[in-house]
Amino acid sequence: MLKRLPYTLLFLAIALAVMLGPLRPYVAETGQLTPFLTTRVFFHETLSTGPLGLFRYVALFLQGCLSLPWFGALLIVGLLVGIAYATRWAFRIDDSLFGLCWVIPFFLLSTYTEVGYGIYLSKGPQYLFLVVLPALLALLAVGIVHRLIRRSGAKRPKPRRWGYVLSFVAFAAMGYYFWTATYRDKNFLNILEMKQAAERDDWQRVLDLSRRHREVPTRLQVCLTRLALYETGQMGQDLFAYRDGDATYNAPVQQQWMRLIAAPLLYYHYGKLGFAYRWAMEDLVEYGMRPAYLRTLYRVALLNGEDALAGKYRDALQHTLFYHDEEALIRQEAEAIRPLTNYTDQLDGDDGLVEFYLLQSFAMTEGGSREMVELSLMCSLITKQLNGFWPRFMALLPTWKEGIPRHYQEAALMVAQLQGGADTTSLPISDDVRQRFERLVEASARLGDNSSNAYSLRPEFGDTYWYYYFFVEGMKTN
Amino acid sequence: MKAIRNIALALCGTMMIAACTPSVPDGATDVERAARVLPDNDGATLPPNIAPLCFEIQEEGDRFVTRLSTRGGRELVVGGRSVGIDVAEWHQLLADAAGDTLWTDVYARQGGRWQHFRRMANPVVRDSIDPYITYRLIRPSYVCYEELSLVERNVENFDERTFYSNMALSRDDNGQCVNCHVPQRQGQTGRSQFHARQAYGGTVLIDGTDIRKVNLKTDSTLSAGVYPAWHPTLPLIAYSVNETGQAFHTLDPQKIEVIDYASDLILYDPGQNEVSSITRTSRDYESFPTWSPDGRTLYYISAHHDPVGTDIDVDLDQNYQTLHYNIYARAFDPSARRFGPARLVFDAEALGKSASTPRISPDGRWLLFSLADYGQFHIWHRSADLCVVPLDPEDCDSTMSSTCGTRQFHVWNSSVPRVELTLTSRTEEANSTESDSYHSWSSNGRWILFSSRRMDGNYTRLYLSYFDRQGHAHRPVLLPQRRPHLYDELFRSFNAAEWMTQPVASGRSGLSRALQEALRRDARQARYAGSALAVPETDSVATQTRITKQNYHNIYEND
Repeated sequence: MLKRLPYTLLFLAIALAVMLGPLRPYVAETGQLTPFLTTRVFFHETLSTGPLGLFRYVALFLQGCLSLPWFGALLIVGLLVGIAYATRWAFRIDDSLFGLCWVIPFFLLSTYTEVGYGIYLSKGPQYLFLVVLPALLALLAVGIVHRLIRRSGAKRPKPRRWGYVLSFVAFAAMGYYFWTATYRDKNFLNILEMKQAAERDDWQRVLDLSRRHREVPTRLQVCLTRLALYETGQMGQDLFAYRDGDATYNAPVQQQWMRLIAAPLLYYHYGKLGFAYRWAMEDLVEYGMRPAYLRTLYRVALLNGEDALAGKYRDALQHTLFYHDEEALIRQEAEAIRPLTNYTDQLDGDDGLVEFYLLQSFAMTEGGSREMVELSLMCSLITKQLNGFWPRFMALLPTWKEGIPRHYQEAALMVAQLQGGADTTSLPISDDVRQRFERLVEASARLGDNSSNAYSLRPEFGDTYWYYYFFVEGMKTN
Repeated sequence: MKAIRNIALALCGTMMIAACTPSVPDGATDVERAARVLPDNDGATLPPNIAPLCFEIQEEGDRFVTRLSTRGGRELVVGGRSVGIDVAEWHQLLADAAGDTLWTDVYARQGGRWQHFRRMANPVVRDSIDPYITYRLIRPSYVCYEELSLVERNVENFDERTFYSNMALSRDDNGQCVNCHVPQRQGQTGRSQFHARQAYGGTVLIDGTDIRKVNLKTDSTLSAGVYPAWHPTLPLIAYSVNETGQAFHTLDPQKIEVIDYASDLILYDPGQNEVSSITRTSRDYESFPTWSPDGRTLYYISAHHDPVGTDIDVDLDQNYQTLHYNIYARAFDPSARRFGPARLVFDAEALGKSASTPRISPDGRWLLFSLADYGQFHIWHRSADLCVVPLDPEDCDSTMSSTCGTRQFHVWNSSVPRVELTLTSRTEEANSTESDSYHSWSSNGRWILFSSRRMDGNYTRLYLSYFDRQGHAHRPVLLPQRRPHLYDELFRSFNAAEWMTQPVASGRSGLSRALQEALRRDARQARYAGSALAVPETDSVATQTRITKQNYHNIYEND
């Protein structure tokens, strides 16, 4: 037993450290993307998928447990430990070779931790969860057969010294393989953390994650940051101070990842309820009854006043694993979202280009609630469509009780300079902003062409709308 | 000795059964309201051969007893919150109640005291339903689809079989859509058809045990056949051909519009494998054909739209609410196989409404259709309700004016203007405030099978409404299921249901496999045979297409 314990503890430590450490958001996301309901209809539908329907049902259950990461991780790691011990027992492996028994657990765990973005495209349980129970049963069956053979005179192998070395090398090699195979892309994990914080309405956490992140962000990270800035009322003050970027999603196949990962979330919070519902439903059809989709469908139905439909989705959510009532949170969200629904319904389509649609939609919006006008103003700034700047700016001016947010001050000076015809001297624009703008104009004249300006002006002006307007170009939405 | 032991065992068994058999409690306190049950079919008119109406009692209590009884004295007592009913015993009850009423008494024990809820009553008529229905099980999806199945259900019990699943041959990016399983004359001739789109696409024709796949798309027609209508006696099928797209609401809970950007009608002759045009117009949008029972008239819907601008997609996406479909008819000469000129049958536009899915009762007296505020894809329109128009002047209601005809109609609903309601006060119970749409007459014309989203506004369920000899629809009964919670737990819609007097391809074993084999084979390409009009019409040579759209997507393309 003492010979086996170190390997066991080492495996537990490595597996749990990875799953509950850097991969924790991935583990939680996997749980939310697992279609598992405790209803009879779901049970029958899963069983009817084929001869392995029962294993599929068990696999979905195990994978669904990851919604509670520590519980799911303990459960699955425990089963993998069981596989290692069952291997030893089934093949009557001597303790000196016990390290070899961890090849299968490490390999199986890797098949899950290496998936990355692929979890969004997976229609069934991951390989690990699908085989862990059959593998365990198969090993136990082999063990029983071996026991029967031993009765008929088979001899137990003797321990060998080289076995300890081989055992340790195999274990270490598999541990190394597991670590290198595990998908730990920083943008991916950051996206998941930001998204999960956004789902909890923890907008400050989203901003913290955005600030702390050192990589060039993907568009999805930019969009989540902007949403958090809007939700916290900091959009006009800080939006251009956050890092922009259009890093490629580090996935083997390029998909509409923003749409797949966060379209319902973004559309919901921006008041495009029909599109939030639509994409949640499309994906539910394609990928199954994932709790993540059911939550969006529930929220939208509740906001739409479709009580019977909301009840249907709530009932379904209550049949997911580790359900907790979110109605209070949703009611709170509804207060923030309703002002963004103050417009005439439109028949439209986004072709899955979420950011592009949202930007264009708000940039072209006229009128509406105060929140809509501000989003409209900001989106027109982001898309550099300045024609409607002054009507929106002037409509919002009386509402800025604590002063005009910094970016709108910057934009006002710049638009007046570019388009003329507007007197900004009477506007309550801070001296600091005015002086920075004058320095920018001087520096631009002194430094020449745009590309050299971009590099040298960034330290001083990189957090301004001016810098974004003149030097941030070719950013690919979505 | 052995005999004594057997008798003792039998007695013990009988005593145990008796101990377990629930009895109606004495001295229960009467409650004025009916018990809350799921599903609630209180008051619905029942056919004498429907499957048991199992339900669950949703009242507080620790014990429950339900008694089903008839005036003739037959009764069935069931214990427990979940009321499951044996099929044979249920049918005996219904047979006894036919022409009268089936009563349901619910008792619940709470705090040691029994309560007796108001008795529920279901009229049971002598007119039976056709024993089978077919439908498509589908998630109420938009662009994506997965796991669609064509299902046949025996409505006299709970037997169900999936006779084709779209996952059988292909899946994922090479997926397949299946739709529109429609039989000829409620399946009495053994002929039916359905479509497969994308992978292994084509129209599957079932004629008894013969199954084949055809491609109805020709260079001269808009698309492959879409909404089918079998001629009642001849092996002919009228189809609409449609260029259909979907657009999405940003806010409206109706969520989606399914718009025909172009549509015409064709006639397909399976014997000759020929397609001919019935309508081929540029500014009229014809769809949803249906035949009169004698096969001498083809009814259909049509809307007129003069394009604004050059992009018909943008035009109709912006003006979809102006599309009002009327019902028209054309005489058909079965021997020459030629159609006469169009005549207006129901002017929905004049009411500011839009009609869809006309269906003529088997006795030819009634025109049944759905009526909504606009458009033709009424499953997504909350304003959609079932309506009936008397085709025979003798059926005109006495409350109507003397000019019975196209302007006279019954409307079964509460969401339409009051002026219409005054004509329909006896029949409004069949509809709901949610979408009530796709419908089908039983072979005896006494039952209407229709789709409704009344449960939750999004998931379509099937209802059966009795249609009496005076032209009144009765309170419908929800299609019974063995498990009362099925509809709550099922996230699929029952779509495009049709009555069947016999199973699909009755007598053929291995239907599902045969359908797969047929679909795997190449489709027979139909030939275009010109116009089927007796006299050419001015606009009958124009091909209606989307004018400038380059990358449109027609959801009804075969591939």
